[in-house]
Amino acid sequence: MKCEQIAELLPDYLQGSLSPGQCHTVEAHLEQCADCSEEAALWKKLSLLPVDQPGPESRARFEAMLQAYQASHSNQPADDSHWRKRASVWNWNVFHWLRSPVGAIAWSAALLAIGVFTGLRLAGPKPPSLDLAAMQSELASMKQLVVLSMLQQQSASARLEGVTWSTRDQQLDPQVLSALLHTLRYDASVDVRLAALDALSRHGRQPQVHKAILDSLQQQSPLVQVALIDLLLEWRDPDAARRLQALQQVPDLNPTVRQRVEWAKSKLN
Amino acid sequence: MLQVRDGAGETLGVLFDRYQTPLFNFYSKLTGDRALSEDLVQEVFLRILKYRQSYRPGTPFRAWIYQIARNARVDHFRRFPRQTALEPEMLPPVVPTDSAQEQQEVELLQRALGQLPEEKREILLLCRFQELKYEEIASLLGCELNTVRTRIHRALQELRKAFDQLAQGTMLKKAEAARNIPPQRGRHEV
Repeated sequence: MKCEQIAELLPDYLQGSLSPGQCHTVEAHLEQCADCSEEAALWKKLSLLPVDQPGPESRARFEAMLQAYQASHSNQPADDSHWRKRASVWNWNVFHWLRSPVGAIAWSAALLAIGVFTGLRLAGPKPPSLDLAAMQSELASMKQLVVLSMLQQQSASARLEGVTWSTRDQQLDPQVLSALLHTLRYDASVDVRLAALDALSRHGRQPQVHKAILDSLQQQSPLVQVALIDLLLEWRDPDAARRLQALQQVPDLNPTVRQRVEWAKSKLN
Repeated sequence: MLQVRDGAGETLGVLFDRYQTPLFNFYSKLTGDRALSEDLVQEVFLRILKYRQSYRPGTPFRAWIYQIARNARVDHFRRFPRQTALEPEMLPPVVPTDSAQEQQEVELLQRALGQLPEEKREILLLCRFQELKYEEIASLLGCELNTVRTRIHRALQELRKAFDQLAQGTMLKKAEAARNIPPQRGRHEV
């Protein structure tokens, strides 16, 4: 058999999905043909490549993302039918579910909703308009959409404006948070990165935001790095010494940044 | 996955444990950038949460998750055009193995893989490391099964070429180095 014909069978042979007869044909060819057998050998060698492990903080980031997502979705009206469905399950199951983190969030949302409802009933004769709530949520999602699309613009000034827009809301939406973190690390313009840092640092009290900001310390822009070092001191981060040490060990660190790290370390001590 | 789709957020944790390392490797071997790979893995799981209703039961889940993974990477590079190409220096350090020759081969293989055009590197990663079936890859890339076979074969051919060239280069360097080292005996005599 010629190499071209074998080439059609080789991928299936390598994945072990050929019939015994075809398998035999390919093996007979491989014994004679150095080119094809080298390819097969290389395929096997690919399994030697090491499996990289993601960093240990990856799981914590995932948990934070999940919680932020669930928190932002648990106060939607859909919860009610969910509750009714749950009520028909065994008592023990319900109890177990209530103890889980999702249950806890739903509990808090339900209690909050009851509190707000009772409060409003007692305070004013008029029940709150549902339209108003719907409009508010629509407005919030519009704002989010505007920020996300502006952050994707080609022009740096448009992206800068997007970052400024994101600061109009007190609450940080998880999607906007992730977009801002991306901007902080990878935006082509240093000004946009610095603005993103400024916008993000307003939410520095939330532990997952705090951590994600400081995780971007190892990046391309020296100016952003210096700003991050200052933030590290300002927030009195408990992990500051370790982070500075890690940054100092980067081989081609910008001299100004290195100087700032030294300075920051002397301040810490 | 069906539980995730129907709203059980905790189940996503199980998926995360199962898929984070394969996805991370897919990205890190493709881009050579660890921090970016970690970000993209997080992005994939955020998208799974958001778009979980779009998963149709009965369809292969792996193909669906890798579809999301590819889209996340494309979106990232559309927003942040690449500044640097994949450098061999950015690849993870090779873990010492039993034999020095094996270690050298792994190193050469990593460099050869880094030299391939991205679509060829991707298809090799998908079938060899992510262990996707050819049918899954075909539906992922939106092409015929036979096209997948041809592409894999071409990618493998190109990898072999790159690997052979690098191996020859290393051998030449070694020969050169051997010529430049003065004989051991001479040093003792001085």
